[in-house]
Amino acid sequence: MGTVVSFHVEPGECPAVDARVAVASACARLHELDDIFSTWKPGSPISRFRAGLLCLEDAPPEMSLVLELCEEARALSQGWFDPWAMPGGFDPTGLVKGWATEQAVAILRLPRVEAAIVNGGGDIAVLGLPRDAHAWRIGVRHPWRPEALACVLETDRAVATSGCYERGPHLINPRDGRMLFRTASATVLGSSLPLCDALATALVVAGDDGPEIARSLKGYEAYIIGVDGKEDATDGIVFATERAWTTGSRPGPVCDHWPGARSQAPVVSRPQ
Amino acid sequence: MRRAPAVVVASAAGLAGIVAMHAGSAPSVLGGAGPAAPASPSPTATNPPSTTGAATTAVGTSEQYGYGTLAVKVTVRGSRITDVSVARLQTAEQYSQSLAQQVIPLLRNEVLSAQSAHINGISGATYTSEAYAYSAQSALDLLGVK
Repeated sequence: MGTVVSFHVEPGECPAVDARVAVASACARLHELDDIFSTWKPGSPISRFRAGLLCLEDAPPEMSLVLELCEEARALSQGWFDPWAMPGGFDPTGLVKGWATEQAVAILRLPRVEAAIVNGGGDIAVLGLPRDAHAWRIGVRHPWRPEALACVLETDRAVATSGCYERGPHLINPRDGRMLFRTASATVLGSSLPLCDALATALVVAGDDGPEIARSLKGYEAYIIGVDGKEDATDGIVFATERAWTTGSRPGPVCDHWPGARSQAPVVSRPQ
Repeated sequence: MRRAPAVVVASAAGLAGIVAMHAGSAPSVLGGAGPAAPASPSPTATNPPSTTGAATTAVGTSEQYGYGTLAVKVTVRGSRITDVSVARLQTAEQYSQSLAQQVIPLLRNEVLSAQSAHINGISGATYTSEAYAYSAQSALDLLGVK
């Protein structure tokens, strides 16, 4: 999958040694999944499946699970997420990273780890809640400024973001096979990280249709930044508003189109 | 030489780990210690992480990927990895060049620093490529994170 996965684990009542064993198991599982789903490895099951050299019956069982999720995501996204329409053959990359990250957090669940957050290349799976907090605080990367955040969201569910600053074959318009950037960034929150991952990709390529699709998704919330910098969010998105999330903040510019979820948007100057 | 880039380090708040995946990677290597024991810097580290809570940053090697070259930056606070981001990116693609030249639209939260915000994680589109993992691993090596 060619990405980096980071773990933050708060063991709580779970013995630290058990938590460490679980993290090791999760890492091993991620390598196993990478061996199956890496389109970079010519001999991987996914590469052979794409080339028509491996049928589903002979493939690892994980392949069928991912295919089912891809079908679900294609239906939910009204066809804007379509791994079957990718140039070069079936490519579930836009969903697999989220799925693998979710698998990793599921392993941490077994020894009753109190709280954990696993970040698989920007796809975030959570377990429980951080100590002394009612939600996880997730920064959404700014689409044009690598050091900055567009906002901070509060959530107790999975978060995935896709954007036009990303490069990858899954950001292809399934309707004409061309690379399409009509939305700068789309973030989706929900209970299933693989579906959040796929839907975020779909909302980016869907462009102007994105907000309407987002509002049609039951159980999912979305935060979208247009190529013109306009932001849109579904009603269930919760923005962190406290001053506490920055230091040295000052009020941000007034923005008429904003639906009003954030009252005083802080602005921070240069990072260190 | 490129080694299997799988690392787990301890942090004051519990356990933190990071695993980079790329072609030919070996099974995970579990390092790390209990919550009270910070990871020790590598003797070869040029920029060992502080255990007093100050952020230390290293930029990995520039790596070729499908659309140009990129370099990944890793930030460590104490023994905890707090951010992994793309520090340098050069693309051959026409679209990227035109994007870089255009006036960047203002967001309501313009330039909210990722490092000063009190957050648990950052969600963002990433460059899914072998180059990303290799560069991140070289940054971790510089920081002495094992």
